[in-house]
Amino acid sequence: MTADPYAAATGLIERSAAAFVSGVPDTNADDGFFGPASVTWRVSTGLASPVAGLRALLMQALHPLAMAGVDQHSDWRRDPVGRLAATSAYLATISFGERAAAQRAAARVRRIHEHVRGVDPVTGRQYAAGDPALLLWVHVALVESALAAGREFGLPLPARDADRYVAEMTVAAELVGVPAAMIPSSLAALERYIESVRPVLRCTPAASESMAYLLDPPGLDEDVAEIWQDVRDGAIAVLPAWAREMYGYSEPPALTAERRTEIRQALGVLDAVVLGEPGVLEARQRIAVRMRTARRA
Amino acid sequence: MKRTQCSGTQRSGTHERGTNAARMNAARMNAARMNAARMNVRKAAAAVAIGGAAAGLALALLRLRLGRLRFDRGKAALQLAVRGGARYAGSAPRLFAVAGARRELLRHDLALQTAEDVAVTLGAMKGVLMKIGQMASYVDDGLSPAVRRTLSRLQDSVPPMSPELAARVVEEELGLPPERAFAQWDPQPIAAASIGQVHRAITLDGRAVAVKVQYPGIAETIAADLGNVALLRRMLRITAPSQDVDALIAELRDRVLEELDYRREADNQRLMAAYYDGHPTIGVPGIVPELSTRRLVTSELSDGARFAELAGWSQEERDLAAETIYRFVFRSLYEIHAFNGDPHPGNYLFHGGGRVTFLDFGLVKHFTLAELQPLMQMARTLCVDNDPEAFRRSMEVAGFLRPDAPLSTEAIVEHMAVFYDTIREPGRLTMTGDYASAVVRRFFDLRSPLAQYVSVPRSYVILQRINLGLFAVLGELSATANWRAIAEEIWPFVQGPPSTPMGEAEAGWRARRQAIAACPA
Repeated sequence: MTADPYAAATGLIERSAAAFVSGVPDTNADDGFFGPASVTWRVSTGLASPVAGLRALLMQALHPLAMAGVDQHSDWRRDPVGRLAATSAYLATISFGERAAAQRAAARVRRIHEHVRGVDPVTGRQYAAGDPALLLWVHVALVESALAAGREFGLPLPARDADRYVAEMTVAAELVGVPAAMIPSSLAALERYIESVRPVLRCTPAASESMAYLLDPPGLDEDVAEIWQDVRDGAIAVLPAWAREMYGYSEPPALTAERRTEIRQALGVLDAVVLGEPGVLEARQRIAVRMRTARRA
Repeated sequence: MKRTQCSGTQRSGTHERGTNAARMNAARMNAARMNAARMNVRKAAAAVAIGGAAAGLALALLRLRLGRLRFDRGKAALQLAVRGGARYAGSAPRLFAVAGARRELLRHDLALQTAEDVAVTLGAMKGVLMKIGQMASYVDDGLSPAVRRTLSRLQDSVPPMSPELAARVVEEELGLPPERAFAQWDPQPIAAASIGQVHRAITLDGRAVAVKVQYPGIAETIAADLGNVALLRRMLRITAPSQDVDALIAELRDRVLEELDYRREADNQRLMAAYYDGHPTIGVPGIVPELSTRRLVTSELSDGARFAELAGWSQEERDLAAETIYRFVFRSLYEIHAFNGDPHPGNYLFHGGGRVTFLDFGLVKHFTLAELQPLMQMARTLCVDNDPEAFRRSMEVAGFLRPDAPLSTEAIVEHMAVFYDTIREPGRLTMTGDYASAVVRRFFDLRSPLAQYVSVPRSYVILQRINLGLFAVLGELSATANWRAIAEEIWPFVQGPPSTPMGEAEAGWRARRQAIAACPA
């Protein structure tokens, strides 16, 4: 394993914001794979998204083969912010883009995955990024993290909507090549799947190192860095206890109502900071208009 | 309002009353928001306040709210603005129509339909940030461009309520749906307000009014978010570079909390309207108390030219308007001990001949005499008595200067004098943007040996920042006057004779006021 240092997280907000904007079409021929009436849109536009995103990465990194693929093949160390922005742009395109745009983006990801193969130095096992088992873990970690973060810091979803969200999101896994039959389509199935994968999960040195970087990325503006501490606390608080144990994080204090409010407030400020970036307000308004129209209909 | 007449006094101001009674909050409305580029914001001028109100310290602003104001035109409507002294009182239907014609462009397609929409849009600190953004021009000298962009975009991000949601608030407040509480009710808002929106209406007794309706749940949300002082401090550390962050937070919290209760605004406005009743050039729209509640404030509509339109007026007219604004601010401070905290250009309507209608009293700071006294002392010792040692002592008493500062009095006076430049000497003087910049540069010169010994006591933090907002407005008008002479008229410790025709008219109004006040009820 290489031990190259990580580059600074300079521009995290700016590039994440630009990534989001890039995924939201100015005009749209169709509603994409989800649409303005979907639970997915509601979840994706929620305040809890940064916590959800960070928690998803923490979960994903616990799969040694998924982590090895990222560590050995992507430019993650050289340009971590660029790598995160690429993922954000992909997710925005899948969520809000037209079907054709989403399919194009997914095809590009599948092509890249073809070349990502190797041997995980920790387990000695071979991996391939196109392996549906790995892709499914990455998918489930994202979906479950969105729900976990939303429960504490976003608008609470009724159980039926949580199920609907899991079901809606199966299409995202299919787009990158997971056979439909493998993909959990209810909350219960999602939880069973996670239990089934747990024996494989572990915190490898690569995971430990890259997540330590993410929890406290150097190079953020001072004001953003302080808010990031709340995002980090939020993400760790909503991790499963077993995941925290794997990382060796100390058990956080119980999430009191006050602390939850504080984190929500910090997320609101972060959200406002992102709003200040070029095009974000307009992109959000385009989404909001479509959602309002769908609601009225 | 006292309407009794003493024998022997003539209320020649009654026609004014009629006119003053006819103003409109439509000001908030469209033109209240002006095109940033056009306004050439940085040209603000700071001068120093009478009374050391501006005593400099601090201050800064200069990025007057002008900066983000949109100017939604409506040329035809603008032509209605009356110039050159024509009477602007109108029939209720006409005022109602004009208010509609000047309607702001709002994003009805994004309208908030439920209280939950309000919470999503303005909860989690965003409402608080928006309020700070609204005041940002007065507190923001240290703002990074990113933060400033954030604050201004946040203002733009708040859509109006749907007609149904607004109607529900009205009904909750008045016990009747708006179409029954009013003879006529426009379900679509004519303007955005910071935590609400303005509707035009005609009351059951036939008055054209502007009804400001507050977003449901917003007061509770903002009040709760203001409790997170640590986060506020973090945010304002970004926005306020100097040493007075905690004082600023405490003061901002108090003022914003007050603003959440519209009854306070109604009280403030009523106080101002009563005081200026019959004033030759200052008008304040009357409040309709029975239609004003915690989340509703109803005031008389009036019509007039917007700040942006003054660009096309003669310099003489602009000077007169500036003189009225100046008199209004300092009369209010010294006579009513109140300072309107929102001098931004959208809050004025101009009627020619120096007549100005003042709108929006949501952010009014009331002072005790004990708080005002030190400011007066500073102005008096420096500008009138020309006694540097006494000036230094009064700065210390006011809390602006640490008593043990190892600085020569000359250095202190030299540093502070720039803040009083417009009123230290008599003579006509033009407010300019360059002067304002000089003041601000001086104040924020942290390398100055004075910087570490100077601070701003809490009672004055908003005052002095807003003061600069005021002078930015005067600078924008390139206003010329003998500011010192006007200050002397108003300074309670001088009570100088009228120095202008407006001063003469004002003296007449004051004499009548006193006569009325002395008249046994």
